[in-house]
Amino acid sequence: MALSRRNALRGAAGTVLLASASPIARAGDKVYHIGITLPLTGADAEAAHLILHGAQLAIKLANQSGELGDIRLEPMVLNNATATAGQYDPAQAATNARKLAGTHTVLANVGPEMSGSGKAMAPILSMANLATITPSSTAPDITSPTYAGEFDPGGKPIYFRTVTTDAYQGPNMANFYAEVLKAKSVYILDDSGAYGVGLANAFEAQAKKKGIKVLGRDRLDPKAADYSAVLTKIAATKTASLYYGGTMQAGVKLVKQSYQIIPHVIKGGGDGILSPEMMTAAGFPAAEGWYGTNASPHVVDDPKLANWVALYTKTYGVAPDDYAITGYDAALVAIAGIKTGQKAGKPLTAANVRDAIATVHVNGLQGPISFDKYGDMTSHVVAVFQFHHDKSAPLGDLNKQMRYVGVAPQN
Amino acid sequence: MTGTAVFFQQLVNGLSLGAMYSLLALGFTLVYGILELINFAHFNVFMVGAFVGLIVLQWFGLQGQSVVLHGAPLVLSLLAALAVTMVASGVLGVVIERYTLRPMRNVRGPMAMITTIGVSYILFNLVLLLTNAQALNYPDPMPSIDYHLGGVTIRLKAVIIWIVAAVLMWGLNLFVRRSRLGKAMRAVAQDAEAARMMGVEVDQVVMIAFFAGSALAGAAGMIFGLYYNFTQYSIGYTAGLRAFTAAVLGGIGNVPGAMVGGLLIGLIETISSQYIATKWADVIIFSILILTLVFRPAGLLGAQSPNRS
Amino acid sequence: MKRLALLSPRQRQALFAALLMVLLLLPFLGIGQANIDVAANSCAYAALALGLNIVVGFTGLLDLGYAAFFAIGAYAYGILNSFQLHPHWSAAWAPLAAIGFVAKLGAGAAATVHFTFPFWLMLPASAVIAACFGMAFGAPTLRLKGDYLAIVTLGFGEIVPIVARNWSSLTNGAEGLNGVGPPVLLGYRFGINATPYYYVGLGLVLLLLFISLRLKPSRIGRAWMAVREDEIAAGAMGVHTTRLKLLAFAMGAGFAGMTGTFYIAKLQTATPDMFDLPVSIMVLVMIVLGGLASVWGAILGAVLLELLQAWFLPALSGWVQGLGNAIHSPFLQNLQLTSASELIFGIILVTMMLYRRDGLVPVGRNEVRLSYEQQDAAVSRGAAPAVARLRAGLAEAATDARPAVLEIRDLTVKFGGLTALKSISLDVPAGSIVAVIGPNGSGKSTLFNSITGLVKPSAGVVRFAGRDLLGLRPDQVLRAGVARTFQNIRLFPNLTVMENVLIGQHSHLSAGAAGAVLGLPRVRAEEREARQFVLELLAMFGNRLVPRIDQGVAQLSYANRRRVEIARALASRPRLLMLDEPTAGMNPAESLELAEQIAAFRDFGLTILLVEHKLDVVTRLADNVIVLDHGEKLAEGRAEEVRRNEAVIEAYIGRGAVDA
Repeated sequence: MALSRRNALRGAAGTVLLASASPIARAGDKVYHIGITLPLTGADAEAAHLILHGAQLAIKLANQSGELGDIRLEPMVLNNATATAGQYDPAQAATNARKLAGTHTVLANVGPEMSGSGKAMAPILSMANLATITPSSTAPDITSPTYAGEFDPGGKPIYFRTVTTDAYQGPNMANFYAEVLKAKSVYILDDSGAYGVGLANAFEAQAKKKGIKVLGRDRLDPKAADYSAVLTKIAATKTASLYYGGTMQAGVKLVKQSYQIIPHVIKGGGDGILSPEMMTAAGFPAAEGWYGTNASPHVVDDPKLANWVALYTKTYGVAPDDYAITGYDAALVAIAGIKTGQKAGKPLTAANVRDAIATVHVNGLQGPISFDKYGDMTSHVVAVFQFHHDKSAPLGDLNKQMRYVGVAPQN
Repeated sequence: MTGTAVFFQQLVNGLSLGAMYSLLALGFTLVYGILELINFAHFNVFMVGAFVGLIVLQWFGLQGQSVVLHGAPLVLSLLAALAVTMVASGVLGVVIERYTLRPMRNVRGPMAMITTIGVSYILFNLVLLLTNAQALNYPDPMPSIDYHLGGVTIRLKAVIIWIVAAVLMWGLNLFVRRSRLGKAMRAVAQDAEAARMMGVEVDQVVMIAFFAGSALAGAAGMIFGLYYNFTQYSIGYTAGLRAFTAAVLGGIGNVPGAMVGGLLIGLIETISSQYIATKWADVIIFSILILTLVFRPAGLLGAQSPNRS
Repeated sequence: MKRLALLSPRQRQALFAALLMVLLLLPFLGIGQANIDVAANSCAYAALALGLNIVVGFTGLLDLGYAAFFAIGAYAYGILNSFQLHPHWSAAWAPLAAIGFVAKLGAGAAATVHFTFPFWLMLPASAVIAACFGMAFGAPTLRLKGDYLAIVTLGFGEIVPIVARNWSSLTNGAEGLNGVGPPVLLGYRFGINATPYYYVGLGLVLLLLFISLRLKPSRIGRAWMAVREDEIAAGAMGVHTTRLKLLAFAMGAGFAGMTGTFYIAKLQTATPDMFDLPVSIMVLVMIVLGGLASVWGAILGAVLLELLQAWFLPALSGWVQGLGNAIHSPFLQNLQLTSASELIFGIILVTMMLYRRDGLVPVGRNEVRLSYEQQDAAVSRGAAPAVARLRAGLAEAATDARPAVLEIRDLTVKFGGLTALKSISLDVPAGSIVAVIGPNGSGKSTLFNSITGLVKPSAGVVRFAGRDLLGLRPDQVLRAGVARTFQNIRLFPNLTVMENVLIGQHSHLSAGAAGAVLGLPRVRAEEREARQFVLELLAMFGNRLVPRIDQGVAQLSYANRRRVEIARALASRPRLLMLDEPTAGMNPAESLELAEQIAAFRDFGLTILLVEHKLDVVTRLADNVIVLDHGEKLAEGRAEEVRRNEAVIEAYIGRGAVDA
């Protein structure tokens, strides 16, 4: 997910930090908390709020369902961003992790949005045996056995995901380039951010395996304005395609200028470019034809979810995106863990909930969810989209201005 | 493209970039020449200028990117927008000088510089909050005409930038060399005390320098928007830093030096991107800054030395 | 805040002890892990602020790339205590493994090295590494004028994160270091509990606070402030300005490096964007808010900004949003004041600079005030003790050097096309007073400046006591026994009379930074002695300066500032004293009094070169008079002869520039 420095700074409606938005608890109910740690201010605020509402909705519905017996769940919302960082701040994420670990009523956590925060939170949560389910952090390192000693010093996996990782998002897109788009050669760019670099690296490795000729790899400075030099260099390689790992801060300029200098090259990126800025700032015709991916199945347009989408939109005043769905699913996983623990008659502690989550099978909005022994999702679906101007729809409506192409080949 | 064509294409790219750096560098040089002050607010006067230009162009009905003009309407609306943007930016510069820098004029040490950093931060964050940190689309009224010269593509936009930048710089040079105020400016730059004794109104000269420098920054801002077709709160920082490097490279306080320096930095940026790697461009440019200061502090054309006292 | 300065030392100590007690007990006050974590982060910022305060506050060097040194310290530890580098194991690593600096991972041919350099070693090592970077970077740039340093440091601050981003094999690039190990103390491995980190952070702040407080009133701290106040005067008073600036820069970098190690050990990951420009600016805002050069102010500024961001703005946002919910105002509901904190930073910078340049905690005057009895005693002893000491100094110098003769031969100075001095030759015999007179612009000050190393002559010889002075730096000239005053008085305006005159002794004192921090008995004795000498020097001017010893020199009368400047020059125990219009701005009685004192200086053995406009003073004092006009020597001789010289009268009357 987006890791750029404040390319957006929006607060969506009615954000209430900390758990103060709760209806009055019924007498006799025991109150437990599900943490929600997201960068609610700064660059990633908008996306974070969509996830937040997804998780809030799941908790709200669980409380209403009556399946929780005599307990009530309340969200404990913590902001992972600081103004100094202008975006998510790992130091703040660590502070929040300590707060969660130190609060005994917290049974599980939803978040973080960003892998950078995840790296700071994972060791703390691991020592506390507190499960966190991330709806969007895609860096493979955190759950990789190679770094288990660091990110998982407690020994049991605590970092679960309702998205797949960049270990699939990048490579599956490389498969798509090779098998569907039949690209013979590619030039790869990243935006020097953690997310963009990791994604581009994963794409590059798989592209080479698939026999795509990698003609070059370069890095954009998101603060610079002029990419004509690097694009001229790319034009000179006569590449068939371009892959960009990064977010819209560099993306806006790249999309505009590549339209002028390399108009006929196949262009694509990861979930970082699936942003309204693609249309409102980069704009058509420059954005036309760009491919992008999501590290989760595309279900938000699924007719089966129409009721859910309507409920979400009505409750929070904004339309959900696919990460609102993974956010909802993440909270579902946490709730399922709590319910399993309850049924087994074990005391409601974070440790017991974690144990339950590790083996849970949940029917999420995106489909069945379960985890491998490291906490990663067993399903590795990467959805591919292509931008296409729909003049009848508002320019900023992401769902209308791009077409779902299909699932990227996995192998 | 052949190797030579690529090289010449990068030269063309570098010239457009360099023209903008030159315009911006002039503002640093004018103020430094007179007050020996590095004006960090200049970075974001440029950025604000780009937004002012956007608002003015939208006034003229140039919404979105679909409106394309030709001939006299194009020239007139661009010139009018440029004039309004330059005046507005110039006034912003004068206001900054009058209310935040004049009280600091005789304060020793880094105090005045810290004030300009504060002003710069305020402008930056105001625009950030007002625009929700969004990149905004810029009108694109110029017909997209490309000229092809042996594999090298030259866009009409680039040619227009070169012409506008050249005219502005020539005008400034003329102003500094010929006009009464320009002469007063040079006198203050050489010796403020002596100039004061000779009856030069130092306050007025400083004001004019801020006005001219900021107006050029505003022009650069609008040109930036038209050329790259977007503007954002963050555009001032990198451009400003490179323009300052250009001013130092050319010899700070030296008007032709700033122009030459700007062009050189633009060329260095594109050529190093081509033959080394974009990711090292900043490192290369800052190394040039440091090496210039260490080995040729007066710059390529400069007569003033930064370590004089 | 100003009242703090009025507390007695004992009261201040009590206050500090109480504060420290609260800070030590903080984790036990039931504030929760998260708040302890915030407190630990505040400690890191306070430590950064203390370091930057040395560079910007004490020395006046604007460093906008300070976060780069923070990054260097962070990565130094991060790389040497993580899985980032894993070379193949070989027997050569065994000794390091034995002392626990590395560990062997795996076995056989596939075995690799895991770096586990201990935190407690890396804490000082990072300080040294960052300081080395500071010096390597500062050495070529610090001789530039101060404002250039700002932009160069800005560039450096950009380069370091870029290198961290691009050098992936060393730093894991933008994805950030993985697996940075926590500190281990006596077998206890710091885990996720924030409390031990808080204590380490607190200890770090106390250490850096102690260093700052010890350095500030020391020889080194004074020299830094002299550089900040007036670099030229500092050089002329024997301060090797480039070296002192480098020391400040390196020390600030060292503080930042240490803090970086602490920060990363706590966070256990490091990404390049944790060290971008906003961090440098925020630390700058902290010290500007607290008060430049104010040690306590730096800490207060850090704490206030941390509270602003971690508590005040979020709480205020919550209230405003609550209000918005109550009155159904979507604007208020959506307001996120935390987003405005950088705007607030900018406003703080501008407001503080315009309206309260001294910050919230203005620099206190820590001097021990003199009692009336001490003042009285000092004044009644008069000039004798000072004269005795100055004489002793002269006698000492005379035994191993040639007589204090200044010889100038064919000195020519050109500025661009203009010749300011044309082939000037003159002699100042030992123990005599030679006066240089001439109309404005005749080259008198240029003559002084070329003797003292401020102006580089294009030709000629300047020799003092047999030693060639040309090509020496101003501080070397002073060490050669030549001290001067300036025509337009260059005191250090924000320092006290005592501090100004102490700086004059800079070259005669030997305390280094380490000695001052450790408070060695030798250093303390030297300092006591130096202060005593200041008192004696000031007593030469009767009761004009002694009662004002702790006042800032900016508050003194013009004549008194002249006297302080002369005292400061004498404090360097010169053999040749160069006075540039010492009586300018004094009334006739004061001029006369000073003239008598100057004569007294000669009488106890000083050699004096004098630029003076008042011809009666010249006549009274000078053994020989040299007249300059348009950079040329017009006449030379005894005062009465020169006064009758036709050419001199022409030069003076012709331009009507005679004061007397």
